[in-house]
Amino acid sequence: MEDDTISPSSTLSTLRHRKGHSTDTSLDTSTTPPPPQQDDEDQDEQDTKKQQRPPYNPQRGFDAMLLLVTFMAFFTRCWNIGDPAQVVFDEVHFGKFASYYLRREYYFDVHPPLGKLLLAAVGYAVGYDGHFLFDHIGDDYIEHGVPYVALRLLPATCGALIVPVVFLILKELGLSVAGATFGAFLIILDNSLITQSRLILLDSMLTLFCVCSIYAWIRFYKKRHVPFSFEWYFWLSMTGIALACTTGVKMVGLFTVAAVGIAVLFDLWNLLDYRRGLSLREFARHFSARALCLIFLPLVVYLAFFYVHFAILVKSGPGDAFMSPAFQDGLLGSEMNTNSSAIPFFSNITIRHRETTAYLHSHPEKYPLRYDDGRISTQGQQVTGYPHRDLNNHWTIEPVDPALYPSAAPYTPTDQETERNVRYVRPNDLVRLRHARTNSHLITHDVASPLTPTHMEMTTIPANDTNRYNETLWKIQLVADDSSDKLWSKRAHFRLVNAIHNVAVHCHKGQLPDWGFGQQEVNGNKALKEANNVWWIDQVEHARIINGTEIGEPIIDPKTQPQKPTLPFLSKFVELQSLMFAHNAGLTKPHPYSSTPITWPFVLRGISFWERKAGLRQIYLLGNPLIWWLSITGTVMYAAMWIMDRILLRRGIDDFGPIRTWWDNAIGFLFVTWLTHYLPFFLMGRMLFLHHYLPSFIFSVLVLVCTLEFCFVRVWSLSQRKKSVLRPSRTYVMLTSLIVVGAAWGYWYFAPLTYGIGFESVPSLQSRKWLSSWDLQHA
Amino acid sequence: MQYGWNVRERVEFAKERFATFAFCQGPPQAMALNDEDTLRKRKPQAGETISYETYVATHPNNYVNLGIDSAIQSTANMSAPPTCAPAAEAFAHRPRETPLPQTNLYVVVAVTLVAGLVRLYRISNPSQVVFDEVHFGGFASKYIQGKFFMDVHPPLGKLLIAASAVLAGFDGSFDFKSIGLDYLEPKVPYVAMRMLPGILGVLLVPVAYMTMRNLRVSNVVSIMTAVLLIFENGLACQSRAILLDSILLFFMGLALMTWTDFLNLQKQPFSFAWWFSLASTGLTMGLAASVKWVGLFVIATIGFSTIANLWALLGDLRVTPGQYAKHFFARVLCLIIVPIAVYMTVFGIHFLVLTNTGSGTAFMSPEFQSTLRGSEIKDTFAEVGFGADILIRHENTKGGYLHSHKHYYRTGSKQQQVTLYSFADDNSLFQILPALVYENGTARSPAVTQFQPIKHGDIVRLEHVASNMRLHSHEHRAPVTDNEDHYEVSAYGAPGFLGDSNDHWRVELVDYDDSHPHLLAIESRFRLVHVNLHCTLFSRAVKLPEWGFGQQEVTCANHKGRKDLTYWRIDLNQNLLQNPFSRRAYYKKPSFLSKFIESHKVMWKINDGLNGYHPFQSRPDSWPVLGRGISFWSAKEGTGQMYLVGNPFIWFSALVSLGLYVTIESVAAILQKRGHQRTAESVAKTAGGGGPLLFLGWALHYFPFFLMGRQLFLHHYFPSFYFSVLLLGSLFEGATRRFNHLFRSFAVLCICTVAIYVYINYSPLTYGIPMSKEHCKRLKWRQSWDWDCKKQLDDPIE
Repeated sequence: MEDDTISPSSTLSTLRHRKGHSTDTSLDTSTTPPPPQQDDEDQDEQDTKKQQRPPYNPQRGFDAMLLLVTFMAFFTRCWNIGDPAQVVFDEVHFGKFASYYLRREYYFDVHPPLGKLLLAAVGYAVGYDGHFLFDHIGDDYIEHGVPYVALRLLPATCGALIVPVVFLILKELGLSVAGATFGAFLIILDNSLITQSRLILLDSMLTLFCVCSIYAWIRFYKKRHVPFSFEWYFWLSMTGIALACTTGVKMVGLFTVAAVGIAVLFDLWNLLDYRRGLSLREFARHFSARALCLIFLPLVVYLAFFYVHFAILVKSGPGDAFMSPAFQDGLLGSEMNTNSSAIPFFSNITIRHRETTAYLHSHPEKYPLRYDDGRISTQGQQVTGYPHRDLNNHWTIEPVDPALYPSAAPYTPTDQETERNVRYVRPNDLVRLRHARTNSHLITHDVASPLTPTHMEMTTIPANDTNRYNETLWKIQLVADDSSDKLWSKRAHFRLVNAIHNVAVHCHKGQLPDWGFGQQEVNGNKALKEANNVWWIDQVEHARIINGTEIGEPIIDPKTQPQKPTLPFLSKFVELQSLMFAHNAGLTKPHPYSSTPITWPFVLRGISFWERKAGLRQIYLLGNPLIWWLSITGTVMYAAMWIMDRILLRRGIDDFGPIRTWWDNAIGFLFVTWLTHYLPFFLMGRMLFLHHYLPSFIFSVLVLVCTLEFCFVRVWSLSQRKKSVLRPSRTYVMLTSLIVVGAAWGYWYFAPLTYGIGFESVPSLQSRKWLSSWDLQHA
Repeated sequence: MQYGWNVRERVEFAKERFATFAFCQGPPQAMALNDEDTLRKRKPQAGETISYETYVATHPNNYVNLGIDSAIQSTANMSAPPTCAPAAEAFAHRPRETPLPQTNLYVVVAVTLVAGLVRLYRISNPSQVVFDEVHFGGFASKYIQGKFFMDVHPPLGKLLIAASAVLAGFDGSFDFKSIGLDYLEPKVPYVAMRMLPGILGVLLVPVAYMTMRNLRVSNVVSIMTAVLLIFENGLACQSRAILLDSILLFFMGLALMTWTDFLNLQKQPFSFAWWFSLASTGLTMGLAASVKWVGLFVIATIGFSTIANLWALLGDLRVTPGQYAKHFFARVLCLIIVPIAVYMTVFGIHFLVLTNTGSGTAFMSPEFQSTLRGSEIKDTFAEVGFGADILIRHENTKGGYLHSHKHYYRTGSKQQQVTLYSFADDNSLFQILPALVYENGTARSPAVTQFQPIKHGDIVRLEHVASNMRLHSHEHRAPVTDNEDHYEVSAYGAPGFLGDSNDHWRVELVDYDDSHPHLLAIESRFRLVHVNLHCTLFSRAVKLPEWGFGQQEVTCANHKGRKDLTYWRIDLNQNLLQNPFSRRAYYKKPSFLSKFIESHKVMWKINDGLNGYHPFQSRPDSWPVLGRGISFWSAKEGTGQMYLVGNPFIWFSALVSLGLYVTIESVAAILQKRGHQRTAESVAKTAGGGGPLLFLGWALHYFPFFLMGRQLFLHHYFPSFYFSVLLLGSLFEGATRRFNHLFRSFAVLCICTVAIYVYINYSPLTYGIPMSKEHCKRLKWRQSWDWDCKKQLDDPIE
């Protein structure tokens, strides 16, 4: 009847007694209630029973079962792990990234570094040097001498460890040995978790850290009666560290953070209750301990992963182009270092667009008099964006003439300029751009541009036309603050803002019609701050510049450390993190195996990882349908029963009574965790895959297991007026065993797809195709 | 000490105790008992049944060890609020203190008149097309001419505008093609058309006043709210052009008003007034949603409020299950069925009016097109035989017909292109021929001399009539979908060359059964499977590069992905060998429901596709802080310009009130949690009467926009802004509740004066009338307000 009666040791001691940590197995908010007076009879009854037989101690059962499930988990995950000895599915990516770590070459990826660092660490430990780049699915590992089994063993170990952690979660939640074992078996026997764990992928690590966070949080929560004790702090900080690790593998770890965050807020809100008797001071102490361990500590750990990431990747590599010039500046052998020079006036330059890498281009052809939509143009010379090298990309950069534009800032040469007899372009200078081949100046004017009527047309006017002098003036506005007093090629990103019209030179992917040779449109944009307005200078031709380096400047050897100090760690981190978010949201390219979140719980479709015609072999990511359908049913059942209970309660009908606390708090927590790992995907615009559901799947299994335990053990013992719920009824054991046997059959039946061992005949493969939407390749 | 521990007992206790309290009549006495000091002093009498709070309060030592199991806790929770649950209260009003306020008719008339003067002043200026009048004026023309069009918004707003144009005698001959076109020369009755949004914008003001009165806000503060809405530059500017937003706002405001009416009638369930307000809420919600889909947010707001209302009712144990069911179904009827009926009726009118083909025809399925006058979809021979000239349409993209032309791929085989093209021309005509026959190693094309129907599983060749090339596929990667699952499809052949087996395609009917093995035009969907490569003719919404004229790519797909993209259908079937009297097939005219559903699919798609760029678009985070406005119009000659920007004073006051409201509610909740019941209540009163409902309305009309990827504008914030202005009024009422009437009136006067002053300053932008350059620059408080001051003359008055 009371919460405490369900804990193992309280049945041994007296009911009133609370014995520190090991007694409290249930997840509830209220603390030990005083025994009701009417309970005396029950207690007497129980005392007599106690004398009749030795106390039931489930601990030994838990230990034995823990060993068993761990062993089985390792067996199912590691069996035949070396097959196929080929690159499978996303091993293309994650294997490649591990190689880059070992080569120390900078790469860019949307996921945080921890998972890939761990893979690289395994590779390092077995002496792999990163020579193989995992370029195509189906490339042979043995031929290239890649220690792929070692690499695969890491995710497999993580995948196997999920099982004991889940078992311990269930144990800590106060489930019986039978219930906890039941839950662990459902995880062991799920085919999708096995497939996902056996390859060089990040999801098993993510899921392991995710369940570890939940486990640590439950341990912490159960220590709430001894706040600020060592163990309390220990589990609190373990929660924080596990959360950081989860997020460190993939950004979806933030969903785990959300789940724990909701629990923390709920807990704090209860602590704030005056009936708890905490003073505001004590409350503040609780609050700051949580802030320290769950916000500050994880942040530090998370940053540490990136610190290691940057510390390892010091060489220029395939990820350079994603980063800002200042970032690339710090990489060994980057072009930013070796080929950048200050730009003197009257040098010949090419200007490139940052987002599309097109060159600013012009040619003698004119805009047509009349566009397709009937608008009329000025018939000026075309200015376009052109992706290839061409003589028409060359512009001469000229200073402003104070005689013609009196409001220009006065120019005083620096000592270096006098000595070298040049004048360098400075940030925020007004410049004119003369197109070298047609000898005309770049201008913009108040005429709608061909494709974008809201923007201003860009054209050129002959060099001798001084009437429109002011319109040819462009201000060089740097994107990032730069302390340098010169404008550097390659390194400086800037906007060109017209002095009169206050529009920036803008370029986008939109192609001009045939009259513009399909080149990109360039126009003047009133919204100055847009990303598409940014340009940089590529080549510079000037008498003083030889091989990209100016006479008098030191020549930089690409092998040595960069001359300039690298960016501070935090700005590197912020830059990379925001790029990761941006690119993650941009992953919208259709993929044949992408799916929508609503289909996930129902196993409507899997992902084909690898296939080979010979032997009808295919690795197909597919959940064990029996477990998946059962778990979603259980989860929906829980929600329905919860709502029914609330409605009845509102009408004054209370059926759950004392066991509601566990029903609400323990299962409710798991249910909310399932929701936070599932619902946010509905809001995401990027391509999504079945494996995104795996963490939520585990929690839906836990909800199912706990709901069954609640219905068959707790409600039953409530109706039987039984005190102990840790010795479940025979019916319950029978039922769970039956489900496990069914699940085991499902596991065995779909195992050929899970391990890719192939089928004997097409009909036996076809019989596996339960739903027409499963893409079994050879059926 | 004895306390009830049996659950049933506790429930009985709770029932007894609170049976005396009228529904939602302020906090029951148990709350008063919560006062800590009183409780600690009070010793329970022997045999007395005490509440959970009393127990806790009298046993301070048990504070940490709460000591009462959940059963007691749950009854304790019940014991406090079964008649007035906190959740219910959160969305309904605060408990009643005053009798139902009366709206003052004089005030209603007065604010309407003032609003009319302010809003409709010089509504004929500018006499040119302004901003989105391009669209909504254009739609009115199309309605008048009955030309079918597609738009992302439901029809009601546009129908009303069209109706006002018809009444003013407009014949739809003007096409509103671009901003700045002149209205006077072609004699467009634009003033009448602008009057409709204008007048509805005016009527929003009395509606807001009455809503405030329903929320038990005092007369003077309600007037203040109305004045703030009149002198809001953004709302004024928006309601002066032919746009949908003020129509939407009016229906939305009306729905809120009737709903607050309904909430005030809780004591007289099923009375006429009760039914009337409930039904009119449903009606106005339906109208709002029929103007723009944003109206769904007002349905959500009232939906949440309804759930809270029903939850409160559920806790009233005097309401029997039967009565409860009656309550429940009354709401289902009025708040779900009525709005759906209204919405569908509006669409019915829409379909009735648009009877001719027009610019929207190409978006629709051939079934739909066949209902429009002048459509190209005609009936044709049903049975398809060898030798027939056919048009093959892709079923599940709107890409159009299988097409080829004398242009070549730039990639892969460099053979003649095969594409999808949305218009049926001669280049889309294919002749369906039997497969080559091989005799002694030489190929022969069998002659077709008599009608021979094509069956499921037949192998055919498709010859492009205009070029005599045959549909062909081979092991080259497709031009755009460059992966191993897709092969290129080309048209291949040469004079005198019969072709090879890569021209062979097997016809597979999708819904094949033995009794209907024949390929039928229009009626059967089929796949074309390449005999040698086992791939299926496939297309998806991907365009070829410029050398393919942006037409849709056609490939032969190997993967088992989207099956529905491999379905084709024959639209035209000409065959000289066929008996001219043989059965003809035609598209079935769709029912209203399927037309309705199809329009919605297309609308959704267009809405999703609105991710182009607009120079004055903005993101939701900039709206509450008035980050940026929209340039509506600027004069070609002269200096007038219309720029949509809110009255900064009102705008920022509303923002502050939102922040204050959240703070007050949080502080009250924390105080309550800390046991300071009375202080918490008095703090909560500062938030005013309508707080929870209005705040919910604001949030539900604002946050969903963050999830939308399409281009958004400042005017999307107006519905949300309306709620925040009402919240401002409600908060002002709460904050000044201790003031005497005179002082409060004075404060109201001050606020109104400032608002009007700011309004007048910004009015040149609102009305599109010239102003001096200095004035223009002075108005630019923020750098990001990008109206153009350079064009202004130095002083227009001189």
